[in-house]
Amino acid sequence: MERRHHSQSHSQRQQGRNHFSSSSSNQSRSNNRFSFPKSSSSSSSANDVRDRRRETQEEKQEEAIVGTCPFMCPEAERLQRQRLRDLAVFERLHGDPRNSSPALAVKKFCRTMSAKEVRASDVRPLPVLEETLNYLLSLLDSTEHPFEVIHDFVFDRTRSVRQDLIMQNIVNDKAINMFEKIVKFHVISHHKLRSSCSSSSISPLHYLNLEQLTKALTSLYNLYEANWSSKPIHEKEAEFRSFYVLLHLDSNGQPVGESLSLWFRHVPSPIIKSKEMWFARQALRYFQMGNYRRFLSTVAAEASYLQYCIIEPYIDEVRSLALCCIHNCYYKLHPYPLGHLSKVLMMEESDVELFCNAYGLQTCIDELGNKLLPTKQTTFCRPKGGLQNYSFLGFQQLGRQIEL
Amino acid sequence: MSMGEAHRRITDYLNRFSDAVSSQDVASLKQLLSFSSNSPSLLSLADSLNVFQDANRLIKQSDNYSPFADITVPLFRSLQHYRTGNLVDAYLAFEKSANAFIQEFRNWESAWALEALYVIAYEIRVLAERADRELASNGKSPEKLKAAGSFLMKVFGVLALGTVHLCRSVIRSIETARIFDFEEFPKRDKVTYMYYTGRLEVFNENFPAADQKLSYALINCNPRSEANIRSVSAVLIVMILKYLIPVKLSIGILPKDWLLEKYNLVEYSNIVQALRRGDLRLLRHALEEHEDQFLRSGVYLVLEKLELQVYQRLFKKIYIIQKQKDPSKAHQMKLDVIVKALKWLEMDMDVDEVECIVAILIHKNLVKGYFAHKSKVVVLSKQDPFPKLNGKPVNS
Repeated sequence: MERRHHSQSHSQRQQGRNHFSSSSSNQSRSNNRFSFPKSSSSSSSANDVRDRRRETQEEKQEEAIVGTCPFMCPEAERLQRQRLRDLAVFERLHGDPRNSSPALAVKKFCRTMSAKEVRASDVRPLPVLEETLNYLLSLLDSTEHPFEVIHDFVFDRTRSVRQDLIMQNIVNDKAINMFEKIVKFHVISHHKLRSSCSSSSISPLHYLNLEQLTKALTSLYNLYEANWSSKPIHEKEAEFRSFYVLLHLDSNGQPVGESLSLWFRHVPSPIIKSKEMWFARQALRYFQMGNYRRFLSTVAAEASYLQYCIIEPYIDEVRSLALCCIHNCYYKLHPYPLGHLSKVLMMEESDVELFCNAYGLQTCIDELGNKLLPTKQTTFCRPKGGLQNYSFLGFQQLGRQIEL
Repeated sequence: MSMGEAHRRITDYLNRFSDAVSSQDVASLKQLLSFSSNSPSLLSLADSLNVFQDANRLIKQSDNYSPFADITVPLFRSLQHYRTGNLVDAYLAFEKSANAFIQEFRNWESAWALEALYVIAYEIRVLAERADRELASNGKSPEKLKAAGSFLMKVFGVLALGTVHLCRSVIRSIETARIFDFEEFPKRDKVTYMYYTGRLEVFNENFPAADQKLSYALINCNPRSEANIRSVSAVLIVMILKYLIPVKLSIGILPKDWLLEKYNLVEYSNIVQALRRGDLRLLRHALEEHEDQFLRSGVYLVLEKLELQVYQRLFKKIYIIQKQKDPSKAHQMKLDVIVKALKWLEMDMDVDEVECIVAILIHKNLVKGYFAHKSKVVVLSKQDPFPKLNGKPVNS
């Protein structure tokens, strides 16, 4: 098995470790009275995290495998799956469930065993992984199969690509590029899978996709940090960092991972000042405040397509809040014009009526034929099933941004 | 036992230790640290150490074992003392090993070894108790349990600092693990603990819990004894206040000016002023001016949320002015008037947005009343139209 040669000498690495442990023993010396940290300044805590991560990175380098598999799928695996008829639709040669080819078979994800037991011939080197990923993403354009089927295949096979990258400890620009593409896939799936499921409970596919989205995103952030010394800011880093904020708008929900307050502490300054992060922070601010008007109009005006895909579930929540507010806080004798409601909710007027109906509310018509929503109806209730998908005014602009 | 057998048992233990760490196997690691379990393998290891006296050299000369020398060397010493019944020496050595373990724990990327840390915390307490009994029986003062407490506080410090990603359930499980009785420990350690966990509550936006913990820390860090601003106590007070003030502001309690002046907490003065005056422009300006500092300390998002309270205060001021002009009409506020007030504060907001803010304030019970859409008038309740927060955060 080939082993990557570690460029830094052993003694240099020792030095790195000693430097770190001496600073922490400084802390223990001042520990006699109170064990407060020396300073909570920004640079020291963010740099500490980076230093520590870089160190373990260097140690990982020493043990990383170098893959030698020249195909998208190791030959042994392909032959075995052919025998067992374990071929996905996309892998079948002329539709034959017993036959594949090196151009069609792609390595499946399987939970591994420690790195020590993996053979180099089963692991694909970087150029092969790049080709594999491009091939997988090209399948997303296919119209022959329903989206869930394509998603399922690409989901699994990109997971294996990620695994091969991590096992070989590839942490350069190209790895960043690949992880960005994979995160993008998960983000778009997050949107598409939502549109296709109509039940109120989030479909398992959707949930699992979100889980991998988060994992891939975390790996991507680690890569950004690992490359910090050679290239402080990557072109798309601001946008991909903003996804974390948009995924955690509802901080009062489940405490997933780090709270946003903690997370922001380690974000580099240029990222915080970026346009994409500014948008995410504004969205967060409006969402937490309940400012539905600004939330919806800002999303329509400033979200990128990917940001929209992530923030989409919150749009319905905010609309729900808006309806709640208008319904509960407005004067009973002044019914609310649907035309205006459509502007507030950023929804087509025809959808607005359906939206109100889903909340048990009836609309009425005035003498001039305008549709109105009487407030403080006693039939107001939360929709029991899920909400259908409603239009979002401003989505048309976003549609133009799609490029895969 | 022969020399060879002893040597074999020692290397066996050391191999299991380094394997457990490299494969992040906390279950195996736990067993290697649990002295009080009196497991046969640990007891025979102790015996082996007495036969093969040169374990230290063995550890330091091997590439596999030397990375953990700071942990294993004192651990072995402690085990030997434990076996021969010298509990005080066993405690001292174990404490040294435990400190080294914490340093390593902080280096590891995740909290995989958390359960091993629990075991160490438990063992250190048991050893401390037995050491104290030995001291007392020899007529000396039993102070090892107190020392163990300091160690435990360090553990919580590491965990609560947020350098390790932990979810709330883990912190809760530490607090209920009954490893120790909180009240038994020295005040300064309680203050430390409350500071760290209180801060964590701030990050997770649990304001009532944050208030309780940080207030405890503040009250108990001896405010009366500090003579001048540079004393240790004063420094601590500032650190606690940096987190306590945002919490208090969130539940509607404003600090007095003298407090901010005394401890030089200038970053908060404009925010407090903005809340008092209903001055949105000042709030936004203050957040912008100290944005970096607030983001790094982790209170930015908390302070940002004060915006709604500032709106409430602004409306209240308008109401008071109207009441002075014409008491009979005061409870009806035209939307136009609010829009004008905001324009005067250089806040660029259209009528729809102001209407939205009004609706939100009513919805969150910061304003009592309703909104007449056709006439664009907010009709306020005649009684208590601007309820105070009364120690509760604005409800979501």
